Amino acid sequence: MKSIWNAYDKKLEKSLKLNMRLLEGIQKDKAKSKLNSLVSIKVFGVVIGVIWVLFLGLLIYGNHFKNVYFSTSVAMIMFFSIIAIAAYIRHIVLISQIDYTESITATQTRLAQLQVSTINSTRFVWLQLPFYTTFFWSQDWMNKDMGFWLIAFPITLLFTVMALWLYKSISPENLHKPWVKKLMMIGMEYKYALAAGELLQEIEDFKKE
Amino acid sequence: MSPIHTQEQFLQLIQQNKGIIYKVSRAYGKNDEDREDLFQEIIIQLWGASDRYNDQYRLSTWMYRIALNVAISFYRKERRRIESESPLTESMIEIADNSEDPELENNVHLLQQFINKLNELDKALMILYLESKSYKEIAEILGITETNVATKISRIKVQLKQKFLTIKS
Repeated sequence: MKSIWNAYDKKLEKSLKLNMRLLEGIQKDKAKSKLNSLVSIKVFGVVIGVIWVLFLGLLIYGNHFKNVYFSTSVAMIMFFSIIAIAAYIRHIVLISQIDYTESITATQTRLAQLQVSTINSTRFVWLQLPFYTTFFWSQDWMNKDMGFWLIAFPITLLFTVMALWLYKSISPENLHKPWVKKLMMIGMEYKYALAAGELLQEIEDFKKE
Repeated sequence: MSPIHTQEQFLQLIQQNKGIIYKVSRAYGKNDEDREDLFQEIIIQLWGASDRYNDQYRLSTWMYRIALNVAISFYRKERRRIESESPLTESMIEIADNSEDPELENNVHLLQQFINKLNELDKALMILYLESKSYKEIAEILGITETNVATKISRIKVQLKQKFLTIKS
């Protein structure tokens, strides 16, 4: 095998030519790095998140705290969104600190762990679910309409239970479960985390003697 | 102290080691476009890390670490590649067609096929073995023990030899 590889090496030495003009151009444009594609997904998330938070802020401001249920619900959704943005920013910083000059197992473990940790740092956003069912509540509605207690309130309870269940169930330990995989199809981040989780397992096996 | 201070020194380094980068790209890229992309990405990362060269290690250790780390990460990211990315219009690598030895061509093709079937980490290990790196250097590049390198190499070698001989016979 080694003799085949050596012969291949010699052949390449003779036949492989580099486009020097392109090579010189590449050095001037480090920003084209593929590592940046991972960053750009997260930067996109941060931008969308900031726009969303600003919009929520405007809603609260526009309501002048007239309806406490509306203001509290929107404020809670805003709170979860801000935490998610902070987690994304932290990931961007960690990605920019990835060092390719370290050993393969060390760098790949860090990269994969970073991706898997996305699950931990973003799964709590599910907890905002119930607040999407409370912003239209009002004191009048509660006092005068039985429909509130028969329909609206149970729906909020259901969403609360669902949110807590999703928060608890979507964890790195459950990544391999089929229903979690199905849920992951919803978000690209989860798909990446799944691939990263598989790589972590490969690295663990690889390190075993 | 980094031996790469100027653009000329860097270009010279790439010229001297183009085979390493090509072989890593060939082993990890799924098709010609992927390989070209990976080749460029490795060069970008090598250039970006040129001021962080640690002379505690050999230059080849530093290069292999970057090339293989990029290749393994790149392969992961390829699954998540955004489809709207523009295709490359000009090629960085050209291979002159001087296939004088069809048997060698065939053997190289078979060997590449076998390597491609290995998982990403075993693939890295096999490339380093075929490049005649010492177990100590392979261990440093991969971040595992020398004993582990020896065990894994003998295991993969047996598998590959058997496959090779089956097809050849």
